[in-house]
Amino acid sequence: MAANVSAEDPVPTSAVLMAASKQIGLRCRNENVAFLKCKKKDADPEKCLDKGRDVTRCVFSLLRDLHQKCNKEMDEYSRCMYYHTDEFELCRKEQEAFEKACPLE
Amino acid sequence: MTEAVIRNKPGMASIKDMPLLQDGPPPGGFAPVRYARRIPTQGPSAIAIFLATFGAFAWGMYQVGQGNKKRRLMNRVIKEEKYAARRAILPLIQAEEDERFVKEWRKYLEDEARIMKNVPGWKVGENVYNSGRWMPPATGELRPEVW
Repeated sequence: MAANVSAEDPVPTSAVLMAASKQIGLRCRNENVAFLKCKKKDADPEKCLDKGRDVTRCVFSLLRDLHQKCNKEMDEYSRCMYYHTDEFELCRKEQEAFEKACPLE
Repeated sequence: MTEAVIRNKPGMASIKDMPLLQDGPPPGGFAPVRYARRIPTQGPSAIAIFLATFGAFAWGMYQVGQGNKKRRLMNRVIKEEKYAARRAILPLIQAEEDERFVKEWRKYLEDEARIMKNVPGWKVGENVYNSGRWMPPATGELRPEVW
């Protein structure tokens, strides 16, 4: 995991993750579902390490991608989320700007 | 002596026979005074009052139900959004925690092997339970370096 993170990557705080949650849910869906199925079969963390690494890699690459494509809107949205502790209702304006800049497709 | 002068009755033998001098009613008595209560029984009857109260209560509870339904529908959308966001992030958080746990657990197993090196018949590494499922370690402390 240390190899995936470099200096200027977005730090995955809860605000950043909640801001990007729709994108994560959409683009990393297969990895997430595979990881959860593995967990459901066996709760041992050592058995699902590789699928977990898939998930981490997918999410971090997605975050890096978003950070490069619509840097300013994502920073604004994350900052609003941080200020309002992940309350979606209070950040609608920044959310619309973010979704316009980086559409969900 | 003055009483005898004022209330004199000619021909009295002693002052014990003096006539009385009192403040009394006029002749024929006073006019009659009404002291009985006369509260008129008017206004709504008991059944009318009960029905009005029950009706107001029923209408009020109906309004409460309508308001609850509206609030539940509006909140459902907001809550669904929050839950979907949490569901999307959960695997990442769990994967990171798994990696950290596995690292700590391996270090702990090494420590256990070192400590129990000389005990005969001790199989290092775990499984204090016999069910075959993996259970998280029940030491009572999840992350000792944090506390």
